[in-house]
Amino acid sequence: MTQSVNHHPSISLLELYCDGSLNAEVALLIATHLDYCPHCQQLRRDIETDLGAELAATNPATSVTEVHSTDWLEMMNKITATPQLPQATPAVQPDSQLSIGGYQFELPRSLRRIAGKRSKWLSMGGIATARLPSGEPHHASLLFIDKQTDVPLHTHQGLEMTLVLSGEMVDENGRYVPGDLIINSPDDTHKPRNISDEPCLCLSVLSAPLQFKEGLTRWLNPLQRFFY
Amino acid sequence: MDLVMTARHHGPEPSTQGMHDLTGTDTLTGTELKTRDVGQWEQALALVALSRDKQAYQELFGYFAPRLRAFGIKMFGNEQQALEMVQDTLLNVWQKAALFDPNRGCASTWIFTIARNVRFDMLRKKQSRKDDISADDLWADGDYPEAEDHQTQKWELWLITEKLAPHFAALPPAQRLVMEKVYLEEMSHQEVAELLGIPLGTVKSRIRLALDRLREALDDSER
Repeated sequence: MTQSVNHHPSISLLELYCDGSLNAEVALLIATHLDYCPHCQQLRRDIETDLGAELAATNPATSVTEVHSTDWLEMMNKITATPQLPQATPAVQPDSQLSIGGYQFELPRSLRRIAGKRSKWLSMGGIATARLPSGEPHHASLLFIDKQTDVPLHTHQGLEMTLVLSGEMVDENGRYVPGDLIINSPDDTHKPRNISDEPCLCLSVLSAPLQFKEGLTRWLNPLQRFFY
Repeated sequence: MDLVMTARHHGPEPSTQGMHDLTGTDTLTGTELKTRDVGQWEQALALVALSRDKQAYQELFGYFAPRLRAFGIKMFGNEQQALEMVQDTLLNVWQKAALFDPNRGCASTWIFTIARNVRFDMLRKKQSRKDDISADDLWADGDYPEAEDHQTQKWELWLITEKLAPHFAALPPAQRLVMEKVYLEEMSHQEVAELLGIPLGTVKSRIRLALDRLREALDDSER
């Protein structure tokens, strides 16, 4: 049974992602959403095409100083003296499987390398989390919720962003399947639960509030865009 | 030499004029050629990939280096890092030109995404976070498309250009037939094998042979 992704990032969030100006942890969340969502992949291509055209249309003489043409020439000669890469060497493929709570999960591409660097699982009841390498003020972690388990009420100062990787979750606002992005502001009092008979794995990113002052509303507005 | 002035074209959109001249010619056994929006920079990348063509690279460099610099200054706010980004980006363009796939987007998009990734990793490195989340985790798919058979992909662009058409017509009939099926009618290797009743390996060999032949012909004609 395949269920289509229903909860997508807003276009502005996708734009920031394509632009490269999103912080790494939230960008990872978006990249992971794209692994599940052909619709947003297409949007991403469209945005990148735009940004590329913008680059090509840039007026190169915007700054006062100019690089001397001999300096450009030197840079170019240095580059063309470098050998071109041989045929793509198959990189070592990181493990795509993850085991927790007696279950096996298949990880999406974007998480495979980084999931290998996770810290130890911390378990509590049917819930477990493992921190991914991330720095203040952002926390990225894997979140495991066993079947028929409620996530205990928790508080967070900033935004809590959750992406379902496997299984499903429900809260007061709806039901979430793999690829669905859930964004909760500090004011949201939601109570996520796994009421299904399958275990659920999520990627969770917590961000400190100051990071979000500017973009908060435009990120949240189109939270639930329904395409299909 | 003024590099910046060597680019033939300075507008934002590369000209595609003259690229569709093959359409309607009868050199390819009446197979209807698809017109494609292939521009100057896409062709230049194909030349760099195929034959380390420094002239083509110089055109790309001359056009994009100053623009990437302006873009970098906007992003970093300083010239030194901007130039570091320019050099790293254009080194990637030189080294990975074979990974560019014109079917997936235009050259400017590809170059932009490289610059974006270079910039991201530069910033991470500066924060000593290089081993954490990297640009490859975030944007690997689509940016460096690793097709199964990317040796043949980069040729696709060429088969529709004027330059290659006479050589294409001069291929041995068996190779030419396979090439037409694969590149002009866009059949899969397997479909061609079934249609012609030959083994899949033979289809692949004929393509490789034809590509080598075309490469030679191209080298000769440029001498």
